[in-house]
Amino acid sequence: MATKVPAPAQDQGQNLGAFETKRMRINVGPQHPSTHGVLRLVVDLEGERIRALRPHVGYLHTGFEKTMENRTYHQCVTYSNRMDYVNGFAHDLAYMVAVEHLMGARVPIRAQRIRVILNELNRIASHLVFFGTTLLDMGALTPFFYTMREREKLMDIFENVCGVRMNYGYFRVGGLRQDVPEEFVPLVRDFLKTFPAYLGQYDTLFMGNDILEARTRGVGVLTRQQAIDLCLTGPSLRASGVPLDFRKTAPYSGYDEYDFDVPCYDDGDIWARLQVRMDEMHESLRIVQQAVDRLEPGPTIDPDRRISLPPRWELEDSMEAVIFHFKLVTEGFHPPKGEVYVPTESARGELGYYIASDGGSMPYRVKVRAPSLANLQSLEVSSIGGLFADMVINIASFDPVLGDVDK
Amino acid sequence: MARVPFMMPKPADLLQLRADALGRLAELGGSVHVFKGMISVTLPKEQVISALRAVRDMGYEMLTDVHGMDYLTYPGHKGKRFSVVYDVHDLSGAERLFLRVDLDDGESVTTCTGIWPGASFLERECFDMIGVVFDGHPDLRKILTPEDLDGHPHRKDYPLGETPTLFNDGRFLDPPSFRAGLTGRDPGLTGWKGGTREGVSATQVPGPRSRLTSNLDAGEAGEN
Repeated sequence: MATKVPAPAQDQGQNLGAFETKRMRINVGPQHPSTHGVLRLVVDLEGERIRALRPHVGYLHTGFEKTMENRTYHQCVTYSNRMDYVNGFAHDLAYMVAVEHLMGARVPIRAQRIRVILNELNRIASHLVFFGTTLLDMGALTPFFYTMREREKLMDIFENVCGVRMNYGYFRVGGLRQDVPEEFVPLVRDFLKTFPAYLGQYDTLFMGNDILEARTRGVGVLTRQQAIDLCLTGPSLRASGVPLDFRKTAPYSGYDEYDFDVPCYDDGDIWARLQVRMDEMHESLRIVQQAVDRLEPGPTIDPDRRISLPPRWELEDSMEAVIFHFKLVTEGFHPPKGEVYVPTESARGELGYYIASDGGSMPYRVKVRAPSLANLQSLEVSSIGGLFADMVINIASFDPVLGDVDK
Repeated sequence: MARVPFMMPKPADLLQLRADALGRLAELGGSVHVFKGMISVTLPKEQVISALRAVRDMGYEMLTDVHGMDYLTYPGHKGKRFSVVYDVHDLSGAERLFLRVDLDDGESVTTCTGIWPGASFLERECFDMIGVVFDGHPDLRKILTPEDLDGHPHRKDYPLGETPTLFNDGRFLDPPSFRAGLTGRDPGLTGWKGGTREGVSATQVPGPRSRLTSNLDAGEAGEN
């Protein structure tokens, strides 16, 4: 392994006489704060060093995919954001772009911009949770309160838009459930004004901290080739030197209109994984700023009556509108036969919905390519040979959300 | 610490890569199917591993997903019951291929953990959900479902375990028959497919046009 931690000195055991190190098997989790959910690890230790590690997942398996196969496309909106509850808008958006691609829906510009704003704000919120909990695992209690304070402002924006703080369900096939309230733009502008100062604070407080550098530099290293072979995606892959970002190279929801950079480092250690996410928050702010500046009044949902409900006022004097409304509510729409997949970039990595349609109004098969499950495999390679205490921050540095792992 | 710059891939290179890969896959007996810009190549079972290795060496270096499909109840499906889909893309993420292999019940396919060690969890999930056995996998165990659960939940003949709803007038609502009208197998009560009449685009629904456009301009479309 490429970790830079020195190997245990051989003579120490001899000096201690009868002291010997035996391989010991330790169970970590599933219910422990440092495992970020219900992740169970079986770790083989020799002294403090990890010799083998096996993740056990599935404690949160809810069968979302199977449930979605037995609901109409519209009803599935309820399920998509509940998988990754920290970054719900990304799941909503990934599901929507796949269904819209299948249906050939034309999403109005305003809806796309609002989606991008919410998705990027949610990315910031997710990274704030990441920083809070990762530093908590290192023993620093204060950053958690700092990051949660800012996240609370974002939660207020989300609550203002869709009425809930976590499981949003605000996007619809073809656009949005409704236009944003009047206070939305002032709230976002206010956040854009205040947050850069806090971000600078985080930069000095977290990344400029000597203790953090000492704990994370050269720890849990994944080389570029290892990261590729282990199917790692997202910020963790970019920390290993692969500048892959689907917002740039496979743009969806109008991401190609915005000017932003893809932070990428070739260190591959925990420090790089933190730094990439810190830089990403700056880039997300840039995207939000551009999107808010370009936000213009207009429709927020595709007026195509095959997929979107007619507005309430139209029901009063149009018989056809009533029929469309009734059919959409009772049956939903019928996409053409075929299979689609649209990759998106969530806060954790590549996220995509592989949707197979049989021509009915329920998806024939939904396969969620969730980033956390594949990313979890890198934990084994990057932890072996290192210290047990480093493994705890190593888990956090891959930012797994167990709802996303287990689906 | 060194920051790696981001480079946009050249479209000509990507087209060349795709042409090369499709040519090589055709030599291996692959048949190409394109739907909405998504390229799927169905391969004979024996050639899957050599095909994956070939496209990887050409530049499709990342494996995104390995997942299974069960076509037991798919309307009009002919051929084998299961498919395993390999989702590979290049390092820029702009060029993507779906390699597929069709399998019957009881057939197995060789693991690709020898090419990508990260395929381990993905193949385990496929095994758990669909029941496809990957020969040579180092640790083929269930991953998401409990150990004492029999069967593979994503097979189409796996029961959902719903209870029929009893209404107070003694009428039962059986969930599967209720849902039958929503699948592509059954035309439903009216045969409505979510479309408007032939030749009438959906935005031209008869109604108060002036109000429709003015409200669209004001950004109120979609409010119900």
